[in-house]
Amino acid sequence: MTNAAMQGTYLGEGSGPRAWLLTTDHKRVAWLYLISLTGFFFLGGAMAVLMRIELATPAGDLVSDDGYNRLFSLHGIIMVWFFLVPSIPATLGNFLLPLMIGARDLAFPRLNLASWYVFIFGSLFALFSVVAGGVDTGWTFYTPLSTLYANGWVSTAAFGVFIVGFSTIMTGINFIVTVHTLRAPGLTWFRLPIFVWTLYATSLVMVLATPVLAASLILIVLERVFGIGIFNPDLGGAPLLFQHLFWFYSHPAVYIMILPGMGVVSEVLPCFSRRPLFGYKAVAISSMAIAVFGFLVWGHHMFVSGQSAYAGVVFSFLSFCVAIPSAIKVFNWSLTLRKGEISFETPMLYALFFLALFTFGGLAGLFLAALAVDVHLHDTYFVIAHFHYIMVGGMVTAYMAGLHFWWPKMTGRMYSETAGRIAATVTFVGFNLTFFPQYMLGFNGMPRRYHTYPPEFQFWHVLSSAGAVVLAVGYLMPLFYLGLSLFRGARAPDNPWHATGLEWQTSSPPPPHNFKTMPVVTRPAYAYDMKGLEHERFSPYREEAAE
Amino acid sequence: MSELRKLTFGYLGLLALLALTVASSFFDLGGFNVALNLAIAAVKAALIAMMFMHLTGTLPRLVVAAAGLWLVLLFGLTLIGR
Amino acid sequence: MSGTESVAFDTPQREQRADTLAMWVFIGSEAMLFGGIFLVFLIAHIDSGTAFAAASKHLSLPLGTFNTAVLITSSFTMALAHTLALQRRWRATVWALAATSLLGICFLVVKGIEYSREISEGLAPVLGLQFRYAGPDPKHAEFFFGLYFAMTSLHALHLIGGIIVIAGMIALWRTANPDNRLHRVEAIGLYWHFVDVVWVFMFPVLYLINR
Repeated sequence: MTNAAMQGTYLGEGSGPRAWLLTTDHKRVAWLYLISLTGFFFLGGAMAVLMRIELATPAGDLVSDDGYNRLFSLHGIIMVWFFLVPSIPATLGNFLLPLMIGARDLAFPRLNLASWYVFIFGSLFALFSVVAGGVDTGWTFYTPLSTLYANGWVSTAAFGVFIVGFSTIMTGINFIVTVHTLRAPGLTWFRLPIFVWTLYATSLVMVLATPVLAASLILIVLERVFGIGIFNPDLGGAPLLFQHLFWFYSHPAVYIMILPGMGVVSEVLPCFSRRPLFGYKAVAISSMAIAVFGFLVWGHHMFVSGQSAYAGVVFSFLSFCVAIPSAIKVFNWSLTLRKGEISFETPMLYALFFLALFTFGGLAGLFLAALAVDVHLHDTYFVIAHFHYIMVGGMVTAYMAGLHFWWPKMTGRMYSETAGRIAATVTFVGFNLTFFPQYMLGFNGMPRRYHTYPPEFQFWHVLSSAGAVVLAVGYLMPLFYLGLSLFRGARAPDNPWHATGLEWQTSSPPPPHNFKTMPVVTRPAYAYDMKGLEHERFSPYREEAAE
Repeated sequence: MSELRKLTFGYLGLLALLALTVASSFFDLGGFNVALNLAIAAVKAALIAMMFMHLTGTLPRLVVAAAGLWLVLLFGLTLIGR
Repeated sequence: MSGTESVAFDTPQREQRADTLAMWVFIGSEAMLFGGIFLVFLIAHIDSGTAFAAASKHLSLPLGTFNTAVLITSSFTMALAHTLALQRRWRATVWALAATSLLGICFLVVKGIEYSREISEGLAPVLGLQFRYAGPDPKHAEFFFGLYFAMTSLHALHLIGGIIVIAGMIALWRTANPDNRLHRVEAIGLYWHFVDVVWVFMFPVLYLINR
């Protein structure tokens, strides 16, 4: 990155620790998050690799029972709260939201920087519990295990997560206010890119759900540290209440994770099929519907917990309903591809993989929503396969799609397209090899959170562990070719993909306050079908340069 | 200074409602006591919101309504079957 | 771009609207926090209504009522501070803010008195202290007192936060320009009133169960 070339862009505005650690530029804050989150992703991934190595053999020979409990607990805590929840919103969202709506920055830039510091403080606070000996309750902290019997650093981990929750709420408030108050002239709600719609819906969920998690975690800490018996049956308390509070947050939390990914895919698919998004309004409204409906289904995590049968029926029915808006989006994405001029650049590969893997994982969710079926599948590997198909096959894939799609905008560099396509394919193969066998394992009764098992299950476990190695390779590759592109990549033009959207109307990378002149919006989003615009068919990787 | 007068009336109204809710607790009205107390609390909250917090404008009111609705969802769905 | 704290806003008026919206969204999230804890109490109350009613009688109604009045008065002085700030009467505003925080401290002192009374009577099942309850169903009465301490201490923590912010505002008063002063009074005002609203619900829920 030569400094001369970066003059006039946000990357040229001061270097050194102070310019980055005290920045209020949303684009630099996005990088702070990106680097931290990448670190957490690989830390959580390392724990997963250890687990998969252990699970390759039926005996518990790599780690002790307690050691395994601590491994999967920390894998869950790190992946859920220190990677998945912040991932797309705090990185791509932070970078792109002001650009996409034609604003100079977010509504509260200092709040944005503060949210990163809160995130770092909270996550390190929780990670201290790893160093000190670990947590063995699972990422779900169920009572009374977590309050009365767990012998790990529960309070530290819970409090760390509690602090990180504030970072989420701060981001959510910032995004909501930004979308309401800083849209460029002419940018009505139904001209917004879907990525903005999904960030908005995500922020609503962040603000409404995270406080309830905070309540549940505070009560755990109060019980452990101050001896106030909320969930202790001996003191008249009710352990099940914890699950209601916890899942009231944690189910919407999975929509916090997936909605932004859906937004990314809604940007990438139209661009690489050169078609407007099919059914724009339906996709926008269904994003909001997912956010709302997502709050109504939390009891499906508690079908066998002792809640009333009526509650089970209601939550089962609502869980079937929540699949509908997601299905609407899948149909609309698919129809976007119809009669398009499809090309398979790296972002598009990831987006297409998302379509397949998210759909597959979502269908498995319907199995789990069926009350009677869930009685058998609850706490088995079927559940694990389901949510990894959505979270990894869906969310992480979408994250990669977005990272590759907007990398030229964020860095001003193009990466090696060959390397990108290979990595994407490797992750797709590795992912399916890792997680498809887990459906079979779960169906056949393999429980989750166990590291020993009868020899009959070993075949599927070995496949899964082999897949994990392949998947790890696929995820490590971008570290290299994306990192290399920062130094050796070709200079990116303003709009290498000839995409619609305000972010592409400014330089790559953007200037410090995003736009030299503030844009005025007159067209709908995804105007790929409008004639006379400069969205002519072009790819920087093709021979024919149409300029 | 009519703004001060408005605030004072609001303040006195809140104190009156406080007296009312405490007094009503000395009469045994069965389950109605709880409902009455919560209703009075809701009125006090509305008073504080309108008069002290100046809850005007569509968007802030929408935010409050949304929070209220979400609390209803939280309470309602947890209490199914009890 | 002059006069705004954030580079994103063109005019202070637009920034003011955004600040207000942000405070209300934050209050909405805080409502969900307290809502979660009220839910725990509600379910416990449904399950053990008579034990809760009996236990509630052991709380001091006079002190609780007095405290509620104190907090309502502090909301009044806070609203006064906002009105005065709108009229740019800065000295009077500072007095109103100081009065608000003093009333908040008064609330905390009274709460402390209540706590020490409950501890000395053996009604505080916290920090390993022994719980001595003479009435029927001591197990569920103990749950009531556990929840009472959890809820009121969480509320008190929020109150302390508000007091600290007001103190900080007063300390930094001279260096703040008029627009900032008004912004900050409005923001802390909304927060303070919300903490009052939480108590307005907490008081009857804890103290007034079927006397």
